[in-house]
Amino acid sequence: MEKVITTCIYCGCGCGLLLHVDGGRIVGASPSITHPMSRGSLCIKGWMAGDFVGHPDRLKSPLIRQGDRLIKATWDEALALTAESLRGIQKEFGPQALGVLTSAKGTNEENYLLMKMARAALGTNNVDHVARLCHAPTVAGLGFALGSGAMTGSIFSLQSSDAILIVGSNTTEQHPLVASHILRARSKGAKLIVVDPRKTRLAELADLWLSPRQGTDVAWINCLLNIIVQRDLADWQFIKERTEGFIETLQAASAYTAEKAEEISGVPAADLVKAASIFGLASRGAIVYAMGVTQHVRGTDIVQALANLALVTGNVGREGTGIYPLRGHQNVQGACDMGALPNVLSGYQVVSSPQVRAKFVEAWRAQLPCEPGLTALEMLWAAESGSLKGLIIVGENPVISYPHTSRVQKALKGLEFLMVSDIFPTETTALADVVLPAACFAEKDGTFTSTERRVQRVRKAVDPPGEARAEWEWICDLTRRLGAKAEYSSPGDVMDEIASLTPSYGGISYERLGPDGLQWPCPTKDHPGTSILHVSRFPHGLARLRPVLYIDPPETPDEDYPFMLTTGRSLYHFHTGTMTRRTSLLDREVPTPFVEINPEDARLMGIRDGTKVRVETRRGSVSVEARLAEGVCKGDLFLPFHFSEAPANALTAQYLDPVSKIAELKVSAARLKKEAP
Amino acid sequence: MKAFLPKHKLPLLLEALRGQMEVIAPVSTDAGPAFVTWQGQPIDLMGKPLSPVTEFLLPHKEALFTYVQEAGRYTFKEEMIPSRLLFGIRPCDLHAIALLDRIFGREPPDQAYFRRRRATALVVQNCTSPGKECFCVGLEAGPEAKDPCDLQLTDIGDGFLCQAETPVGILILNAGRVLLQPALPEHFQEKTKLLQEARRAMPRDRSCSQIRQAMQRADWEALGRECLSCGGCSFVCPVCHCFNILDLGVPDGQRLRCRDSCILSGFSRLTGGANPRRTPGQRLRHWYQEKFEDIPQITGLTGCVGCGRCHLTCPAAINRVDLSVVSRLMGDGSEARR
Repeated sequence: MEKVITTCIYCGCGCGLLLHVDGGRIVGASPSITHPMSRGSLCIKGWMAGDFVGHPDRLKSPLIRQGDRLIKATWDEALALTAESLRGIQKEFGPQALGVLTSAKGTNEENYLLMKMARAALGTNNVDHVARLCHAPTVAGLGFALGSGAMTGSIFSLQSSDAILIVGSNTTEQHPLVASHILRARSKGAKLIVVDPRKTRLAELADLWLSPRQGTDVAWINCLLNIIVQRDLADWQFIKERTEGFIETLQAASAYTAEKAEEISGVPAADLVKAASIFGLASRGAIVYAMGVTQHVRGTDIVQALANLALVTGNVGREGTGIYPLRGHQNVQGACDMGALPNVLSGYQVVSSPQVRAKFVEAWRAQLPCEPGLTALEMLWAAESGSLKGLIIVGENPVISYPHTSRVQKALKGLEFLMVSDIFPTETTALADVVLPAACFAEKDGTFTSTERRVQRVRKAVDPPGEARAEWEWICDLTRRLGAKAEYSSPGDVMDEIASLTPSYGGISYERLGPDGLQWPCPTKDHPGTSILHVSRFPHGLARLRPVLYIDPPETPDEDYPFMLTTGRSLYHFHTGTMTRRTSLLDREVPTPFVEINPEDARLMGIRDGTKVRVETRRGSVSVEARLAEGVCKGDLFLPFHFSEAPANALTAQYLDPVSKIAELKVSAARLKKEAP
Repeated sequence: MKAFLPKHKLPLLLEALRGQMEVIAPVSTDAGPAFVTWQGQPIDLMGKPLSPVTEFLLPHKEALFTYVQEAGRYTFKEEMIPSRLLFGIRPCDLHAIALLDRIFGREPPDQAYFRRRRATALVVQNCTSPGKECFCVGLEAGPEAKDPCDLQLTDIGDGFLCQAETPVGILILNAGRVLLQPALPEHFQEKTKLLQEARRAMPRDRSCSQIRQAMQRADWEALGRECLSCGGCSFVCPVCHCFNILDLGVPDGQRLRCRDSCILSGFSRLTGGANPRRTPGQRLRHWYQEKFEDIPQITGLTGCVGCGRCHLTCPAAINRVDLSVVSRLMGDGSEARR
């Protein structure tokens, strides 16, 4: 038996684990006791991380569409057809008719190569990935406010906080190892304020739980800032020396008195005052947030409001302080860092800058497009309207994971050519013209970047099944077929190129990536990496406070649709369930889709635990079992989106945040009907 | 048979054994010590691997047999079981194996377990360097091996005092005959002294009855609110042995036995959806109940060997040993990173 040290494939925590390999198969997994963050612990998904790898459903050979069917093909046939189709579209309709969705599940190297292929070989900046639906507002919001759109501290540092404000994050279920550090901070005396419409486990353990109406976050956050300034709990020296825009920001926030904020958000004024004094009095305050903040049509504003709060209280740049966006995929941070975004190259170097382009043109020896491309949903809209003709989707399942399923399906079906690479057949591969079988995380080498900016190795433990290949291999092959250069002997080689072109990764190489990995920025070969950002200055000098105003969410409950529907995840499943629903123990925990409803609402409607109900919105409807949950407030519904048999995103809409282009996934007006038994 | 093996000769002994069977030993890795197939890697006999050696007898996931359908008839094939030498296991793990032997040996005996058990030789290393989390002494599971094994080693400084207890143990020593020196009375005196020190280094207030008392006092619902339902305590426990069976693949495939955990809600959920252990607190209580009440009743032995691994791996702030929801202070964190 061998034990291969690698990084977990699920959420952004980036836990260190060992895959147990016996006779060429993965037989188990266990935590790394030396890992700087996870320290010998894992969540249940991590303990089961290797379980899906040898599943018989794995895609084992390339497939090509013939009529209604997908027929086995050779790699050469599949890639030749892909190259020919993409070149044909490019010639006839121009490069803007092509797009690439990369994968937050892929490695840094693969994301880098894909964005390079999109730009250098296809000639388009239409490259994006699932960050658009999770932390695009963080990249935009924190990027503007602080100069870097990533977690400012390290997860372990939460243990030194005095007060932790947790907003829109069901941390014990979605980022259990972050929760572990929060719980330890709590047992050392830190105060917890949890803000969530649902009474989550962490809310039960918190000193204060605020339950605002969905989509009203700007109002209560502005209110906290207002109270903190009024009560003289602001860090005046920090504001003066390290920020700009305070006066305008305070002016905007001062309209949000506790009473006004109570009126908008439904949070009692007294609780807002209490929260402000807990956070304002803390000498080390930290803000932890996740999808409950970002997946809103005003996501970028909410992120900015939180940044304003952290800056006004001087809670950035020290141990135990900072802003902790929790990213949902193990490498969604890395995919952003690698420039799998329509407006930036690797390291957030903007494509519209002639100097930046010149550097990449010289390195890649190819012409590069200068106009920022389309974001993920914009690409689908373009496909719907017929202006986007060819799309490559790598390791994503947008039919289930993107909002408004029927519209996504229609858009994908309308494409002239769709290629999908994945490890399992999905609802999206079913629509493809070419399907490529990918190696999973246990079958290839590379790096992932965790939510605390920690670049870590992922290592090959077993061979991929059948003819499946590591994605970096076929990306290089396809890039060459498309006429651009891609000569790499290994993922380590790719990392060397990334380091040469990406200042924040400049000092990173495989030789340096030991058990602790390296936290970017790591600009030079002798740089130890950066655990805490913005210690003495922000990348653009001063941090930017920006006034933000509350605007009503696009949908609110009405007579026809009286419930407020929120979507999210369960502890036991991940995303569209392709991996966890094939992990027997996890699937046993939550085998069927469900909707959570407040017991009082349920009683009024004659609904019991397990009653079949139909949840409807203006987009569609799904049939699920009801689960009575005390934690769900009256008038609210919670629906997890893992289940293809009851896809939550059949119900969600595509209202976009004007800045970050994220969709409003947390607020939909819905109604509920009892189904005939 | 008794002998003395100078420390620097240990790899030579393992090298000699490696030709005869798969040698599993605790090697030093970047992720801490781990039991793997020894192929010349540096041995780490000081640290205790987090993943216990019992996974070689009761794998996390094991194919009980393969089934193949041909012309409407099924044929079944069992997998080959490798002969293995588990080297350098601790007395606590050995005691866990003795417990598993009793549990799986009850009528009808568990054939899958005993196929592996019979093909396994055990070399135990007496524990002269217990970790901060260890309390085997209170449960009479260590630091000196008392359960049947093939060969017993004690690190007495510059070498190992080797005591073969079975014919297999003698064969193991004979494989390295030229490396051995005679065992001297001083070696035995040193062994006694070191083990006495190890006993004294461990807390003595954690016996079965003391933990039972803590269970009486514990606020299980408060503990349950902290529990993150990761199942880690079951997965690192050398005594935990619950499993789940599933058939993977149609029409051909494998019948798999996978580890399971009573910490998970689905473990006790009934078909109709009701659950007799509905809350994490009830499940946590059950975990202790099994170890300190039920297993003793069935086997006569406490179902905990005091290895403290559950404490090391628990992501919650629960002190798994005294059952208090208290901080595992910074000191503990760094200790886990030994």
